[in-house]
Amino acid sequence: MTPPPYTASRRHFLALSAAAALAAAGCSAPENTAASAKPSRSGGTRLTKIGLDYPFTQLPLYSTLVKLSTARAKQHGISLLTTSDNASADTQATNLTTWVARKVPAIVSFPMVFEAAEPLAKAALDAGLIWVTYGGSLEHQSADIRFSFREGGTLLGAAAAKWAQEHLGGKGKIAFLTDDTIELGRERTKGMIDAFTKAAPGVDVVAREQSIDPDTGLSRTKAILAKHPDLNLVLGVTDAAAYGGFKALQQAGRAKDDAKTFVGGQDGSAPSLLAVKQGTFYRASAALAPKDIAAAIVDVPRAVAAGKANPSAQVPITLVQRADTARIDALLAQNA
Amino acid sequence: MTTADPALPRPRPLATGGLAVVRRNPLLVVLVAMVLIFQLTTGSFLDPANLSGIATDAATLAIVAVPLALLVISGYLDLSVGSTLALGGLVGGWLAGQHHQSPAVALLGALAAGALVGAVNGVLCCWFGLSAFIVTLGMLTAVRGLAQQLFPLPLSGFGSGFAWIGGARVAGIAAPVVIAALVLAAGALFLAFTPAGRHVFAIGVNREAAHLSGIHIRRTPFALFVATGVAAALAGAIKASVLDSAVAGTSGAGFELTVLTAVLLGGVALTGGTGSILGVLLGVLFLGGLQNGLTLLNVPTFWQQMAQGVALVAGAALACFAPRTGR
Repeated sequence: MTPPPYTASRRHFLALSAAAALAAAGCSAPENTAASAKPSRSGGTRLTKIGLDYPFTQLPLYSTLVKLSTARAKQHGISLLTTSDNASADTQATNLTTWVARKVPAIVSFPMVFEAAEPLAKAALDAGLIWVTYGGSLEHQSADIRFSFREGGTLLGAAAAKWAQEHLGGKGKIAFLTDDTIELGRERTKGMIDAFTKAAPGVDVVAREQSIDPDTGLSRTKAILAKHPDLNLVLGVTDAAAYGGFKALQQAGRAKDDAKTFVGGQDGSAPSLLAVKQGTFYRASAALAPKDIAAAIVDVPRAVAAGKANPSAQVPITLVQRADTARIDALLAQNA
Repeated sequence: MTTADPALPRPRPLATGGLAVVRRNPLLVVLVAMVLIFQLTTGSFLDPANLSGIATDAATLAIVAVPLALLVISGYLDLSVGSTLALGGLVGGWLAGQHHQSPAVALLGALAAGALVGAVNGVLCCWFGLSAFIVTLGMLTAVRGLAQQLFPLPLSGFGSGFAWIGGARVAGIAAPVVIAALVLAAGALFLAFTPAGRHVFAIGVNREAAHLSGIHIRRTPFALFVATGVAAALAGAIKASVLDSAVAGTSGAGFELTVLTAVLLGGVALTGGTGSILGVLLGVLFLGGLQNGLTLLNVPTFWQQMAQGVALVAGAALACFAPRTGR
């Protein structure tokens, strides 16, 4: 996802799509609110409709999630409604208000601004509807679907540090492509940097650059390479940014399978997974399975409606590397 | 209409002496100062590898900035270039990757998509007289939606042939830089030495007067809309080629503001009638150099944001107080 105009434009893009890339990738929101799931008044009833409010419609994951969730819902005789928020918090609020007024029986919402979603969630609960918070927790909710975004960063950072110890003797140079604009990005970034620097303290951190899209990842890594042509590792807060770094290293003359280079990202996006599978120096991605998320989107509101205890779900994140061929194939199939 | 028609404003030549150039393009001074500061503070700004990186990054910006500048000089505007860029990259990548077409066919497909978007913009603005701001803003959204509908998932793996478009080197220079240089030269020659180039200024200064002078006030801007669409699609194909991937929702997002910033920084008036290709080149280099230098300095994210904003305002102020170019 993308940076400034080289100024205004890229900043604007960042503001929207930092959240987008990360969130879409499956990161979650600040976990600063008490997750007091409330039993739905519609408990024990059978759902016929679920409204999925996923605001980042510009992301590939949106299409994948809608497709997989629709199929999953259909298996249970449920129709899936969607909003078109276009990454606008205002539009999201309007759409959710409409759904509450129309009494859509179950709403799964990924709030762009969690604090702003509280009154909407409360209104939904007061109207007897099911409210499932995606990517975090609200005070007023029936249940939630969570992702451990810091864990993804930690998994990646630890794997890269292990590789650096084994292949570089614990020495070398690393650049981090980070996101400091939103809580989700900060958490991923922190997990990634903390895990790496702790496990590989001898590796020199030569840059920490804001980048969440491939274009910025490419240009920033090119600039870093101009100053540090012997750069060994690039870790990205998103796979998209890391993929830009991957291309910059290749364009600087690095062989695709260079034994002294490591690139890794987070999300499990298709181009990155393919690069991992092909045995290039793009060696790892902390990935969420869209199928798991889609299942949670349908199953959590169903569980609430059925009156089950602890209906919330935690979607796991795993690190995929070259040896995980079956896992990569499964993820690619879900993204196809 | 002939080149000797005294009724038409006469564009200034690209350069009439160093001092005159500096006076008309104060951004040049800022650019030189910026380069010196970055070189002194980083020690690597002027390294050939870094300059090559800046040039390659700025190439796609320049390719779109030139026709867009001509369009703005003629009194119009195209805000749809970001989405057109995405569509061009996706169409080119789709033809090369999914349908295994040759790079030439893939590129032509991309350019055709861009030309189509430009033609729609041109017809609506030039023949139907609709506001260019509204039309192209609408197309920005519509084309993005179309791209997402056609290509909901990321495309990648376009093959080595397509990679040639963005990765080839001509006489040691990256192909996108060569293409950008050709576009810049063509734009400068067009403005300075052709009747149509003068018409661009005339239409931008006063459309009615230009019409009464016998100038085709629809045909030239229409052609510029198409050229801008084609240039945006070409830039998209280059970016897709360089990255070997394209994503409908995010490719080129915000690009329209970046390119417009470069054009305006270069001294092209949003009200039309004034501007030069040299100014556009300076605007492009300024943006590219600024971003690169801040990265080299490892400036923290939010300081970078602030520094870029301040530099842009300063550059724009200088351009504003400089003597106008082009009439």
